[in-house]
Amino acid sequence: MGFILVQFLTGLASASSLFLVAAGLTVIFGVTRVVNFAHGSLYMLGAYLGWTILSALPRDPAWFALGVVLTGAGVAAIGMTIETTLLRRIYKAPELLQLLATFGVVLIVQDVVLKVWGPDDLTLPRPRWMRAFVTIADQRVPVYDLLTIAIGPLMLLGLWLLFTRTRWGTLVRAATQDREMVAALGVDQRRLFTAVFALGAGLAGIGGALALPDGSANGQMDLTVITDAFVVVVVGGLGSLPGAFLASLTIALLQAFGIVLFPKITLVLVFIVMAVVLVLRPNGLLGRPLAAARGDANTPALVRAAVPALRWLGAAVLLLAALAPLFAGPFALSVLTEMAIAMLFAASLHAMMGPGGMVSFGHAAWFGLGAYGAAFAVKGLALSMPAALIIAPAGAALAALLFGGFVVRLSGVYLAMLTLAFAQIVWAIMFQAVSVTGGDNGILGVWPAAWATDPRTYYWLTLAICTAGVLLLRRILYAPFGYALRAARDSETRAAAIGLNAAWLRLAALVMAGAAAGLAGGLTAFAKGSVFPGYVSIGRSVDALLMVLLGGVQSMAGPVAGALVYTGLFDILLMVTDLWRLVLGLSIVALVLIFPQGIAGTVHRLWLRGREA
Amino acid sequence: MLNVADVHSYYGRAHILQGVSFALPAGAVMVLLGRNGAGKSTTMKTLIGIVRPAQGRIEFAGADIAGWDTHRIARAGLGYVPEERRIFTDLTVMENLEVGRQPARDNRPPWTPDRLFALFPNLGRMRNRTGGRMSGGEQQMLAIARTLMGNPRLLLLDEPSEGLAPVIVEEMANAILALKQEGVTVFLAEQNPHFAARVADRATVIEQGRIVWTGTMAALQADEAARSAYLAV
Ligand SMILES: Nc1ncnc2c1ncn2[C@@H]1O[C@H](COP(=O)(O)OP(=O)(O)OP(=O)(O)O)[C@@H](O)[C@H]1O
Ligand SMILES: [Mg+2]
Repeated sequence: MGFILVQFLTGLASASSLFLVAAGLTVIFGVTRVVNFAHGSLYMLGAYLGWTILSALPRDPAWFALGVVLTGAGVAAIGMTIETTLLRRIYKAPELLQLLATFGVVLIVQDVVLKVWGPDDLTLPRPRWMRAFVTIADQRVPVYDLLTIAIGPLMLLGLWLLFTRTRWGTLVRAATQDREMVAALGVDQRRLFTAVFALGAGLAGIGGALALPDGSANGQMDLTVITDAFVVVVVGGLGSLPGAFLASLTIALLQAFGIVLFPKITLVLVFIVMAVVLVLRPNGLLGRPLAAARGDANTPALVRAAVPALRWLGAAVLLLAALAPLFAGPFALSVLTEMAIAMLFAASLHAMMGPGGMVSFGHAAWFGLGAYGAAFAVKGLALSMPAALIIAPAGAALAALLFGGFVVRLSGVYLAMLTLAFAQIVWAIMFQAVSVTGGDNGILGVWPAAWATDPRTYYWLTLAICTAGVLLLRRILYAPFGYALRAARDSETRAAAIGLNAAWLRLAALVMAGAAAGLAGGLTAFAKGSVFPGYVSIGRSVDALLMVLLGGVQSMAGPVAGALVYTGLFDILLMVTDLWRLVLGLSIVALVLIFPQGIAGTVHRLWLRGREA
Repeated sequence: MLNVADVHSYYGRAHILQGVSFALPAGAVMVLLGRNGAGKSTTMKTLIGIVRPAQGRIEFAGADIAGWDTHRIARAGLGYVPEERRIFTDLTVMENLEVGRQPARDNRPPWTPDRLFALFPNLGRMRNRTGGRMSGGEQQMLAIARTLMGNPRLLLLDEPSEGLAPVIVEEMANAILALKQEGVTVFLAEQNPHFAARVADRATVIEQGRIVWTGTMAALQADEAARSAYLAV
C-alpha cells in the first residue's frame, strides 16, 4: 500500500516537471504555430544556467527559489533573442523551414553548452533541506518531491489566470486564432509573439533548473526532453494547456507504475500510450482540429520536374561519382558510399514529405529495420548478401504496411509524432532485446559477399542501387500515382470527389518510402559491417529531415542535393573543427534566412526568373 | 480625412488595384460600389495594410500610411471590419470587445461596452456568449462594435449587409447613421444599392481595380448611364 503511494507521488512529481516544459511548448505552438524543436535546448540551458546560478548562491530554500526564478528570467531572455533574431523573420516561411531553423538552434546550443560548461554531467550539492524526507504511510517521501508536485498545479493555475483574466492573455488567445485580425485591431503582434516565446522559454528554463536536485545538467537532455515534451503536447492536444497537464499526469503515472510492473517496456510504454491516444483521438485528448492560423502565407509545396540544365548537372555528377574509385582513396570512398546511401535515404523521406505531405520525425525506423533485417538475414539465417538486400527493403515495407494504417489517418504534427513514436518503439526493441539484437553492442561482422569485399566494388554496387532507387522513386512520383498522391495531399475531399482514396494513396507512399529507407539501411549495414541501435535513433531521423529540408521539398533534386551537401559538409566539418555542430547549426540558420525556399527551390526560382527576364 | 492617390496592389503577380485614387472628407459616409471581384475588398485591405500597396500614397490624418504595419495604421485611427467578420470564436463578446480596446482619441468620449450595447442591444443580452455561438447578424454587430472599441476616426466596413436578413440590415443601417451622428467617418463597400442609398451621402465606383466614378450618392442615382455601365449585373 505504502509502496503504491510512493510510486504515485514519484509519478506526480515527474508529471510536474513534464508539464513545465510541455506548457511552454504548447503555448508557443498555439500562438506562433512554430513547432519549436529547440524547446528541449532551452530546458537544457535552464539546467546549466541554473547550475551556475544555484552553485553561487547560499544553499537555503529561499535562495534556491530566487535562483530558479533568475534562471527562468535568463532563459526567457535567451528565448527572446532567438525569437527576435531568427523566428520573427520566418513566421511566414513554410512550416518545414521553421522546423529546420529550430533544428539549427538545437545544434548551436549543443556546442555552446559544451564549450561553456564542458562535457561532464553537472550536479548540484544537495543541502540538508533538499535531502529531507517526510514519512507517509510508513514510507519515506522526499520533501523535494512534494514541492515539485505542488508546482505543476500551481503553474497551471497561474497560466490559466494569466490567459483568461488578463488583457494580455485575451490578446494571446485572440492571436492564436487570427493574428492578422488582432493586428488590424491595433495590437503589435510581433511584441505579443516575442513575449509568448519568452514566457515559454522561461517555463522551460524553470523546468530545467528544478530538475537539477534530482538529476544533473548534461548534454543529452535536450533531445530526451524535447521528445517527452512533444509526446505530452501531442497527447494532450496541440495548444491545449489543460490537455498538456492531463497528458503529463497520465504519462508520468504510467511510467512510475510501468517501471515496477514491466521494467522492460517503460521506454516503449510512453510511445504506446501516444499511439493509442492518437489512434482513438487524432487531435489528442483535449485538442481540437487545427484550423490554419489566419494570416500566414504558407505556400503548399509543389513538386516540379527538373529543368534540363539540372538533369545535365545530375548526369555529370553521376559520371564523376562513377569514376571516383579510380582516383579516390579509402577514406574518400567511404564518404562517397555514405553519400550515395544518404541520397536514397533522403529521397525516401522526401517521397512521403513532399508529394505525400506526411512529415516524418521517425524516418530512422525504416532505415534501422532495413539494417537489422539485413544483419539478421546474413547472421541469423545465413543468407547471402543479395538476399539480405532484398529482405531489408521488404521487411521495412512490411512494417510500414502494418503500422501505416494508423499513420495515414492523422495529419501534420500529429502524424509526425506518431512516426516518432514508432521509431522510438523500434529503437527500444533493438536496445532492449539483447539476446536477439545484441542490445547496445549491436550485431557485428555483417560483411559484404566475397565478390563485393573490395570497397570499390561495394561502392559501385551501392551507387548503382541508390541511383536506381532514386530514379525509380522519381519515376513513380511523376507517374499518375504521384499526381494522385499530390491531389490527395492538397485536398482530401476534392481528391475523394474524383474517386481517389487518400488513405490508400498515402499508405502506398509510406510503404514505398519505408522500402527505400530500408534498402538504404541494408546497404549501410554491409558498408559498416555492423548494426547498432543508433541506426534507429532520433538523431538519425533528424539527419534525414535536415537533408530534405536543406535541399527543399519542392523538387526531387532537393533531397539529393540536400543529402550530398549535408553529408559532405558533415564530414568536412568533422575533419576541420570540433565545433562542427555550431558551424552546421549556424549554416542552417543562415541558409534558412537566405533561402527561405530551400536550396533547390531557390535555385529553381532564380533560374526561372533569369529565364523570364 | 483620407486621400488615396494612384495606389497599386498585387496578390503575388496578379495586379489587382491598378491606380486607385479618391478622397474622403471628414464626417462623410462614402460607399464603394462595384461588381464581384472589382477590387472592393482589396481596396479595404490595402488601406488597413493587410495588403501592402506596391505604389501610391495613402494620406490619413496627416501622414502617408502606405507601407506601414497594420497595427500602426489601426492605432493611427483607422478601424477595419472585414467582409468575413473574423470574430474570435473562442472568446466571449466581452473578450472580443477587449481585444479591440484602444485609448480614447481626439478628446472624444471613448467607446465602452455599455455605449456599444446601446447601439446594438442584441449584443448586450449575450455578453458572455462565445463568438462561435452567435448568428451571422450578431457576429456582424460584434465585429463592428469590436472595431469601434479602438475609437477609430475612420471606419472601414466591408459589405456589412452581406448575408443578413432584411430586419437586421435595417438595424445595421440605423447603427451606421447613428455613428455618423457621432461624427465617425465611414467608408463602406457595398453590393446592396438600397442599403447604400440609405446610409451613404457619397459614392465611388471601382471596376477592374480602377476608380471609374466619384460623386454624391444623389448624383449617382440620377446618373442612369453610369449605373447601368458599372453596376448592373
Ligand atoms: N488572396 C487572393 N489571392 C489572389 N487573388 C485574389 C485574392 N483575393 C482576391 N483576389 C482577386 O482579386 C480580385 C479582387 O478581389 P476583391 O476581393 O477585392 O473583390 P471584391 O470587389 O471585394 O468582390 P466581392 O464583391 O465578391 O467581395 C478578384 O479578381 C479576386 O479573384
Ligand atoms: Mg469583397
